Amino acid sequence: MSEYVFLYRGGERGSSPEQYQKRMEKWMAWFKELGAKGHLKDRGLPLEREGKLVKGSKKMVTDGPFAEAKDVIGGYSLVEARDIDQAVELSKGCPIFEVDGGVEVRPVMKM
Amino acid sequence: MSEFAYLFRGRLASPTPEQRQKQMEKWMAWFKELGANGHLKNPGHPLQAAGKVVNGNKKLVTDGPFAETKDVVGGFTLIEARDLEEAAEISKGCPILDVGGSVEVRPIEILNM
Repeated sequence: MSEYVFLYRGGERGSSPEQYQKRMEKWMAWFKELGAKGHLKDRGLPLEREGKLVKGSKKMVTDGPFAEAKDVIGGYSLVEARDIDQAVELSKGCPIFEVDGGVEVRPVMKM
Repeated sequence: MSEFAYLFRGRLASPTPEQRQKQMEKWMAWFKELGANGHLKNPGHPLQAAGKVVNGNKKLVTDGPFAETKDVVGGFTLIEARDLEEAAEISKGCPILDVGGSVEVRPIEILNM
């Protein structure tokens, strides 16, 4: 088994408490499913949409947003899979697709 | 204290073994410093440059790269800081800035469950 990071990108989050609640339930159900199959190594953390960017040798600090809304990373998880194709298959269960977001699937570098 | 994620972006396009070794040493020294100052929560994981992206309702799969080299996320780390300003200040020690890269500093969302 190898380790992969899922970077969650974009997707409408919805602002009402009901939408929030529903979104959370879907994510929790998905994590539960990944965990039950032995693929979830670390569910990771969701990120707020704000933040800062520190850039280059001059260490210039600017406020977010940092990318187009559809590309902003909203969180990450660490999974285990046989290979990248299986990792990609697993990612397809992610609730972010229902709100038109995406998952970037990245092999972890072995040190 | 609050938690923040550092997303490291950009990297040397094709480093020599010496450059790679030197960068690695700088990263290790930086993590050690962060840890000694009580800011390092989880060193996280460096990512390979390769990968795939699955997108949208149709779950279309495409190969990486996913963004311009300077924007590709090469890894992430979890830290603790007083506030966003301090988190940004601390990130200035990151060796990626020496090679023209950047650090995206993002507050962790507190889940309201």
